[in-house]
Amino acid sequence: MTRDIIALAGRELKQHKRRTFAVISGYALTVAFLIILAAVLLYSRVVQNITIGEAGTYFVTWLPACGDISSLSEEELAKLARGIIPEVCKEKCENCTGCNKKPVDILNEGFVINTNGTRLLTLDLVEKIRALPLIKDASACLMFRFRDPQTNTIFAVGGIDVQSPAVSTNCCAASDLIDGNFLTGSSTGRVLVDIGFAGNHGLKCGSNLVIASETFVVSGIINSGARPVKPDVIMLFADAERVINRRIQNPLENEANLILIESRDATVHGRALEDVKALMKGDSLLTTGCYFPAAKAIGLNTRLIWAFMTLVAVAAMLFSARIQWASVIERRRSFAILKAIGWNNRVIILQQLAETLAQSVAGSLAGLVAGLAVLLLVPVNNLLGIDATMTGVLNPGLFAVVVAFAVTAGVLAGLLPVLMVIRQRPADALRRV
Amino acid sequence: MSLLQVENVAKSFFQRGNELKIFSDVSFTVEPGELLLISGRSGTGKSTLLNLLGGLERVSAGRIVFNDRVITDLSMSELAELRANGIGMIFQNFNLIPGWSALENVEAVLMHRGISQSERLQRATAILTELGLGDRLHNLPAELSVGQQQRVAIARTLVNDPAMILADEPTGDVDPETADEILHLLLPRIKSGRTAMIVASHGLFNPALATRTASLKDGKLHL
Repeated sequence: MTRDIIALAGRELKQHKRRTFAVISGYALTVAFLIILAAVLLYSRVVQNITIGEAGTYFVTWLPACGDISSLSEEELAKLARGIIPEVCKEKCENCTGCNKKPVDILNEGFVINTNGTRLLTLDLVEKIRALPLIKDASACLMFRFRDPQTNTIFAVGGIDVQSPAVSTNCCAASDLIDGNFLTGSSTGRVLVDIGFAGNHGLKCGSNLVIASETFVVSGIINSGARPVKPDVIMLFADAERVINRRIQNPLENEANLILIESRDATVHGRALEDVKALMKGDSLLTTGCYFPAAKAIGLNTRLIWAFMTLVAVAAMLFSARIQWASVIERRRSFAILKAIGWNNRVIILQQLAETLAQSVAGSLAGLVAGLAVLLLVPVNNLLGIDATMTGVLNPGLFAVVVAFAVTAGVLAGLLPVLMVIRQRPADALRRV
Repeated sequence: MSLLQVENVAKSFFQRGNELKIFSDVSFTVEPGELLLISGRSGTGKSTLLNLLGGLERVSAGRIVFNDRVITDLSMSELAELRANGIGMIFQNFNLIPGWSALENVEAVLMHRGISQSERLQRATAILTELGLGDRLHNLPAELSVGQQQRVAIARTLVNDPAMILADEPTGDVDPETADEILHLLLPRIKSGRTAMIVASHGLFNPALATRTASLKDGKLHL
């Protein structure tokens, strides 16, 4: 019987070439359209991730300077100078070791992030943050505001680990270099100078710059753009630690005032911020690359796009299924005749199933081939003007879902009307058609 | 036991909530080799009665027994099986499948019954040739004359060698000469006792050919 059904299905499809072609073409166009649309959406997601990765997956954590020192008594201040933290400060100072590192020139100098005063953090925290699952990298950074006693100039010095990825996103990277050479791990005694600071002070590559009585050579001029940490002068962490120690009451002991962080990727950026905030406790602050984590806004858009695509897919599939439905309804009379000459319902259902499956599978596979051909032959990224490879958008799982969806819709569209039709008594069906 | 027993059969339709009685208390029997002509004016329920006998329609009351099987108690699939094996129907408007050739229309009756394709085609070709359509096997119904279409419909019924043929105006749409040809094909099978036939006609069928006649009038069958 199966052979008869398959043979008859083939004959039926062959005999109604136009109808068969229309149904198969409908599925092919729908599947091809969905595959191309899905690939473009996946590609846009890849591009979004690249964009966010360059603009919004980095941030800095720090503790704002404690404002209670002025309220301490002479005795408490004396103890503080010896490293004994007053009871009133302990609650706020859980992660802070900064109160006993008072700058020599407390009115003009101090640990800062840009214009804000900060407390100090232990380097152990950097390790803890780096160990968080959603964090790609964390790096200790010192940023200290100096006053040049000769010229009374105020400027900020940053001490960094040049090897760290989090530094290149949060502070500066070799690509920011305008002139000279970027720092390396062995650039002791050399500094990078921000283009604005260099212009104001007539500094060029090779110039000498004196900081806290120590002379540094300008290795390069940089323009680091809009980054969370933007010192006027950048040097190696160890160099910064050394010159800062000249300007504070007690030397730094495995401490930094900023932790530069990069989250694993754009999609987890928001959660990474929350994890760091939870680890830091207290009144820690986060300074992000964007005023609002871009991943959140783009994540919302991505969901909307997928919802839209689902809507389009359902509409397109219904359109194809409508053709299939109409072709079955057209054959109501034929089904009634077949019942009248002795075919039972099971045979008619199997017959229709065979035809529907053949058309929807053939159409879907043709659509898959056409869709892939377009994706492989047409440079979609060039057309969109985006400089990113299409890698990752040819997703076999997604294609399988699209084909399965099309075949299921086709089978339903073929079987539902035939189930309705065969429920009628043959005489009724023959009389009404 | 008769080949067919019809006992107190009634049929009504419901239209817009109103019962429309077609006929009631119809009772008769048919024996093998018998040709029963049921005559009556249009709308008296002749076609409906044939549909009831062929299991295409359900009775409103009464009982029909065919070959010792109470067909009024059978399911839809059992009725389909009965039509496939024991009862052949010739419809007034032929009811050929328009997209299938004459050969395919006839072959369809033999499909899904475990008969090989070659045997199906051989039997269908033989009966169509016997009915004078040997050169029109691959023509679609629309490419055939009305008489030829009627002969395809008859071939579709005879290919199965049914025990009973139900024919609704079998010669209604053909010229007298063709009608004679058709009847000469059907009658020998009946006279040989291989099959029985019930013909519904509103006057175009020659009553002299029937072994018995009945008329359907005012909702009653008069034998």
